Amino acid sequence: MGLLSDPDVGSVKWVRVLKRVHGPVCFLCYVGALVWFVLLGHREFNNETYFSENALLPGLVTNEFNAEQTANQYFNELHSELQTNYEETDEMPVPWLVGMMSHIHLEVYTHNFTLRYPLGKGQVFKGTNVYGILRAPRTSSLEAIVVSVPYRSVGSHQKTTVAGIALMLAFAKFARPQKYWAKDIIFLVTQHDQLGMQAWLEAYHGLHSEAEPFHASLGSFWKPGTPKFTMDSFLPNIPFRGRGKKPLNPGTLKGRSGSIQAAILLEFSSPKIKYVEVKIEGLNGQLPNLDLVNLVHKLCQKSGIHHSFGKSYSWIRGRDSMDDWKNGFWTMFEMMVGQIDGVPDGNHGLFHRFGIEAVTLEGRDEMDPGGKVPRVNTLSRCNFYKLGIALESILRSLNNLLERFHQSYFFYMLASTHRFISIGQYMPSLCLLCVAMLIRALSLWVTTLQQDGDYNDKQTNKTNKKPSKHKLEKAKDSDSEEPGEQETKEVTKVKTPEKKKADINMSVLNIGVNYLLVHLIGYGVMNSPFMMAYYGSVYYMKPPEVSVYFGIISIAVLLIFITPFLPYLLRKGPISYEELSLVNILVLTELATVCLSVAMQNFSLGFAMAVIYTPLALMTSVHVRGSGKARACLQLLKRLVCLLVHPLVVLLVCMVAYSRHLVADESWLATLSRGSDAAMQAIMFSVVDSMLYGNWLFNLSTSILLPIWLIFWQILNIKVNAP
Amino acid sequence: MDFLRRFLNYYIFFTCFLCVRCDEFKEELFFKPLPSTHLYSYFQFVTLVDSELSSFHSHLAPRSLAEVVSRFQVEELHLTLTEGQWRHHQWGYPVLDAAPGAELYAWFSPDVTDVDTQWKKLSATLSGLFCASLNFIDNFNTVTPQMALWPMGAVKSSQNVTSQLRYASLPREIVCTENLTPWKKLLPCESSRGFSALLNSRMIHNTNYHSVGVHVRKVCKSSDCLETQLEFKQTVALVYDYDIIKSNDWSLRKLFGQGLPGACPLSTDSKIYIDITSNSSQPFTLSPPPDNVILSQRGRTDTLLAVYNIHPDGKMINIGVKHKTKSQLPVSIHPPLFFNRYVLGYGKEFGGIVTEITNNCLAPINVVVLENAPWWLPIQLSTLRVNGEAESKLVQSQYYSPGRSRQKPYHLELLIKLPPKSTTTITIDFEFVFLKWQEYPPDANHGFYIGSALISANLPTARNYTSLPITGTTFDSIINDTKLWYPIVFRTNGAMVSLPTPDFSMPYNVICLACTVVALAFGPLHNICTKELVLKPSGTSLSLTQKLLNLFKRKRD
Repeated sequence: MGLLSDPDVGSVKWVRVLKRVHGPVCFLCYVGALVWFVLLGHREFNNETYFSENALLPGLVTNEFNAEQTANQYFNELHSELQTNYEETDEMPVPWLVGMMSHIHLEVYTHNFTLRYPLGKGQVFKGTNVYGILRAPRTSSLEAIVVSVPYRSVGSHQKTTVAGIALMLAFAKFARPQKYWAKDIIFLVTQHDQLGMQAWLEAYHGLHSEAEPFHASLGSFWKPGTPKFTMDSFLPNIPFRGRGKKPLNPGTLKGRSGSIQAAILLEFSSPKIKYVEVKIEGLNGQLPNLDLVNLVHKLCQKSGIHHSFGKSYSWIRGRDSMDDWKNGFWTMFEMMVGQIDGVPDGNHGLFHRFGIEAVTLEGRDEMDPGGKVPRVNTLSRCNFYKLGIALESILRSLNNLLERFHQSYFFYMLASTHRFISIGQYMPSLCLLCVAMLIRALSLWVTTLQQDGDYNDKQTNKTNKKPSKHKLEKAKDSDSEEPGEQETKEVTKVKTPEKKKADINMSVLNIGVNYLLVHLIGYGVMNSPFMMAYYGSVYYMKPPEVSVYFGIISIAVLLIFITPFLPYLLRKGPISYEELSLVNILVLTELATVCLSVAMQNFSLGFAMAVIYTPLALMTSVHVRGSGKARACLQLLKRLVCLLVHPLVVLLVCMVAYSRHLVADESWLATLSRGSDAAMQAIMFSVVDSMLYGNWLFNLSTSILLPIWLIFWQILNIKVNAP
Repeated sequence: MDFLRRFLNYYIFFTCFLCVRCDEFKEELFFKPLPSTHLYSYFQFVTLVDSELSSFHSHLAPRSLAEVVSRFQVEELHLTLTEGQWRHHQWGYPVLDAAPGAELYAWFSPDVTDVDTQWKKLSATLSGLFCASLNFIDNFNTVTPQMALWPMGAVKSSQNVTSQLRYASLPREIVCTENLTPWKKLLPCESSRGFSALLNSRMIHNTNYHSVGVHVRKVCKSSDCLETQLEFKQTVALVYDYDIIKSNDWSLRKLFGQGLPGACPLSTDSKIYIDITSNSSQPFTLSPPPDNVILSQRGRTDTLLAVYNIHPDGKMINIGVKHKTKSQLPVSIHPPLFFNRYVLGYGKEFGGIVTEITNNCLAPINVVVLENAPWWLPIQLSTLRVNGEAESKLVQSQYYSPGRSRQKPYHLELLIKLPPKSTTTITIDFEFVFLKWQEYPPDANHGFYIGSALISANLPTARNYTSLPITGTTFDSIINDTKLWYPIVFRTNGAMVSLPTPDFSMPYNVICLACTVVALAFGPLHNICTKELVLKPSGTSLSLTQKLLNLFKRKRD
C-alpha cells in the first residue's frame, strides 16, 4: 500500500486518469462480461469434447448383453407385484427385490434409515434401501461401481422407475457369471428419492447421526472431542438446531465393498422410451468429471440410443452457425439456471461431494415436460436390448479404469451433448464483473485519499511558505507524532472547526463494529428458521413453512428499518464521509471476493450474484447532505433499486416469473399469489436442503448476501456532511 | 509302456525302502461346497524330514527351501501368495487363512541375535525363489506381533518366541503364473505326476480366490516330543464359483482342465477328501463312488467325508459330482465369528479405519486384533474407540507401538473379550499425509493399499472350522478331534485410500513454459549479437501529412 497511501497520490497520472474514466470503464466491463457470456455459446468460443482418460477404452468391447427376455420378465413381474400389493401404499416391494437379487446370487442387504423432520413438531419418517453386491472374482473388494435406481411408488407424482429396476436386475443377472469384472458392482434401489440415497451414502462413508451437519464441520467428518461453537451453550433454553443432532439418521450398513469409483443411475419408467436425457448437475452445482459425461453420451450413441442434454438433441443438427449459437447458448443457460439453486436434478448429485463421479440416465417420452422437443415423433422407440447394451458398455468401460477419474475437467459447462466450455473460457466473464467492482473500490480509495491530501495541502500552504512537498514527506513517515502534523491540526482548530472534527471522527473501530454486527445479524438469520418453526408451531399453530416464510419476511422488513441507525449505536455525532467511503470500499471488495470464490465451485451462482449485484455496487455512493434536489431524487431512485435487489425480492420476482412461465393465462394477481406460494416453498426447501444435504444456498444468502445488501442499504440511507 | 511301469514300480519300492529312515511325502486334496454357490478345493503337499539329518542330503524335501531354512536359522516360516478375498461371513473358514497379496512371517532360532538383518536376507532370498516382490519387505512394513501369532510347530516352552518373530504383508502384490511355477518345482513330482498335475495355471488363475502357500515348521516325532521333524507343507486353496463355471455339477476335468493322472509315485499317502455334509440338503451323487465315507464328530459338529485313496498306477481318474435337482436358493448361515473392515470418511484430511467383529456364538470369545497401518497412514491411539467408548471394558490388554515416518509402521494389538451375540466396532482415526514425490507409484494406480488386520481367536465351537489340529499333519487328524478350543488366525479384508496426490503434470507445464520463454528470449538476443548496430541520423519529428506522404512514396517503390 506504500504507493496508494502516498499523499501526493493525486498528482500521479494514472490516478487522474482513473478518476476520470472509472465510470465508463466499469460500465464497459459490465457490458463486456455479458457479451462474453453470450458469446460462449458460439462454436468459436467452445470446444469439441474428447476423452482424456485413455484407460476407459470406450466402446472397444464386444457387447454380449443377452438378457432382454429376462428384463421384460422382471418388468412384467414387478408391474403386477406393484399392481396387486403396492397400489395404495408408499412402501417399497422389499421382499420381491431381496428375493430377485438373492436368486441372481448377489450378496443382498437391506438398509434402514430414519429422518426426524428438523422443523415443526418433529415427525419421523422411515425408509429402506435394498442393495446387492456382485463380488468381482479374484479381487479383494477394494473398488466398486454403483448402479442405482430410485424407487418411486405408483402413487408418486413423478414417473415410476419400474423399467429401470427391471433393466438393472436383468443386467445383474447377465453380469453375475462374467469373470472379467475387476471392480465390485453394487446394485442399489433407494427409497424416498434423494433422502434414501443420502442416507445410504452417509452410512457407506460412516457418517453418524451425532456428527455435525456438513457446513458446520467444514466437510471433514466429526472427530470426537473436538471443541465446537454452538449457540446452545449460550442460550440453553432456545432450540437453535435440534440439539446438534443431524435430522437424518443414516443407520448402518451390514455389507460393503471398497471405495466407489463411479455411479450410474437409471430412471426409466418404460423400455419404450424415445430418447435418454443425461443429467449431470449435482449438489451445490458440482459436476461429474467430463470424461464420464462424454463416455455416457458416446456409448449411448454407439448403442443406437438417441440422447440429449438440455436443449441439445443428438438427432438434431443445426442448419447454420447462428442456429448452433442459439441452441448452444440456451443449453448452457438452462444448465446454469439449474445449477444456481444447488439442488441436484437427480440422485447422482449426492455422490459428487464424496468424490464419486455419477450421472443419471433418464428415459424420456414425447409427452415429457421440458417444452416441445423437435422431431421427437420421428424417432424410433428404444427397447431393453439397446438399453442393456448401453449399460453394459458403460460399466465395462468403467471396469477398465486404472485409477480414479482425475483427468479431464471438473469445472465446465456444456453447450451441447458434444461441446463444452472449460473454466478458462467462462471465468473471464465473471472476472470482468468483479474487476468492475474492484476498479470502483480503487477509485473510491484514491478519491478519499486525495481529498485528505488536498485538504492537507491547503492547510500547510497557508501556515508556512515552505514547499509543501517537504512537509508531506515528513507526514508520510509516521502518523501523528510528527511536528508538521501537529502544526496542521493547530491551525485547523482555529480556521475550520468542522473539518477538524471530521478528521478526528475517522474511527476504524466504529466502522468495524458496525460491519461485524451486520454480519452477525446475518449469521443469526441463518440460524433462525429452527426457532421460527418451533415458536410458529407452538404459539400460532402454523405449519413450519408458513412460520419460516413470514418470520423471514418480518425480519427482513425490521432490518430494513433499523440497520440505517445501527452505526449510531456506538457514537453520538454524525458519521463522516471518509468512514462511509471506507465502508463502501470494504463492501465492494467483499462482494467481489465472495462472487469469485463462490464461482470457483458453483459458477452459475457466483455469476448470477455478480450480475444482479454489480449494478447496485457500482451506483452506490455516499450521499452528501445538502447537495441539491436532483441529487436527492437520484438517491431516492438508488434506494428503490436497492430494495429491488433485496435477496427476498429477487426470489419473489424469480418465482413470479417462473409461475408466469408455467401458467401463462392467468390474472397478474393470481400469478403473484402463486409466486408468493412458490417463494414460501422455495425458502422452506432451501432451509431443509441445507440441514439434510448441506446445500449452501440458504446459508450463503442469509449469512453473506444479506449482510452485504444491508451495508449497501446503510450507505444509501445515511447522509453525511460534505468533506 | 510295460517296461516303464515295471521300472516305476521298482523305483517306488526302492524309494519306500529308502524312506524308512528319511523323508516322507503325502499329498491330499480336500473339496468342500461353500454356501451360496461356491466350491472350495484345497491341496496340501506335506514333506516330513528328519531335522537331525543335514538338509543338504534331503531326498524328497525341496533342497532350495531347506537350504534357506537352515542358512537363516528359521524355526518356522509361513509364506502365502493370495489373489482375491476369502469371504468369511459367507463361506465359513478356510483350512489356512491368508491375507490378500503376499504375506510372510517367520520365527528365527533363539541363536539369531540380529533378527532384523536375517529377516531382510530371508525375504530377499525368498523373493528370488518365488519370483515375488518380497524384497520390498523392509523395516517400514515389518511388525513383531506380541499376542496375535504363536508358533504352530514345536518350540521349547522356555523360549521367548515373540522377539524372534517378524511379520510383513504386501497387499499390493499380484499373484500369477510366475509364482506358481517355482512353487511347483519344489514338489518331488513337480507337475508331471500326482495332484500337482492338476495345478494348471490357466485354470486356477481363473478362480474367484486362489492362494498358494509354503509353510515350514517343526513337529514332534513322537508324543513325548524328544525328537522333532521338519515339516514342509505346500498348499493351494482355490474357490470356484458355480455361476462362473456355469453349473453346480463339477468334476476334476471341469475344474482343472484334465483328469487326475494317478498319485505321485513318491508319495506314501494320496487321498482325496470331499465334504458331503451338504448332501442331505442338496442331494448329489459322486462318481465314481468313494472308497469309504467317514463321519467325523468334532465338538458337536458332524462332518461327512468321502475319501478316495489314489494309487500311483497312472490311470486317469475323474471324480465328479452331479446334483439331482437344479440349484436351490442357498441358505447362508453365518459362522461363529465374522468381521468386516472398511475405511471411513471422505475428503483428503481425516479418515478412520473400522473393524467390526461379530460374535455369533452363545459364549464370549477372546480375540486378539492386530491393526497394522503403514507409516503413511498415521493412526492415533487417542482416537481409538471400542463401540464408541474410549475406555472400554471389553479391552483386556493393549499394545501400541507408534510408527515413524519411512521407518516403522503403526502397530496396535488389542485383546478383546467379545460378548456373546454381539457386534464390536473398533474405530481408529488417521490423518492423510503428503508423500515425497518419488514415493508415489510411477504408474497409474488405484490408490494406496492398507493391509489386512489379523484376528486370532479361540473358537468355542467347531462349526465351519476346517483347520487341522495343531499337532496334525494330514487330514485324517481332524476326524473326531474334539477339543475345548479351536484356535484360528483370520485375516480381514484390506482397504484402500487415495492419498492427496499433487498434479504431476505441473513440472511438465513448467518445462514447457520455461522453454517458451527461453525461445522468446533467444530471438532478440541472437539478433543483437549477430546484427550490426548502425547509427541513423534522426531529424525533426515529421508532421502527419509528411508521414502519409512517406507511406505513399514507399508504396510506389
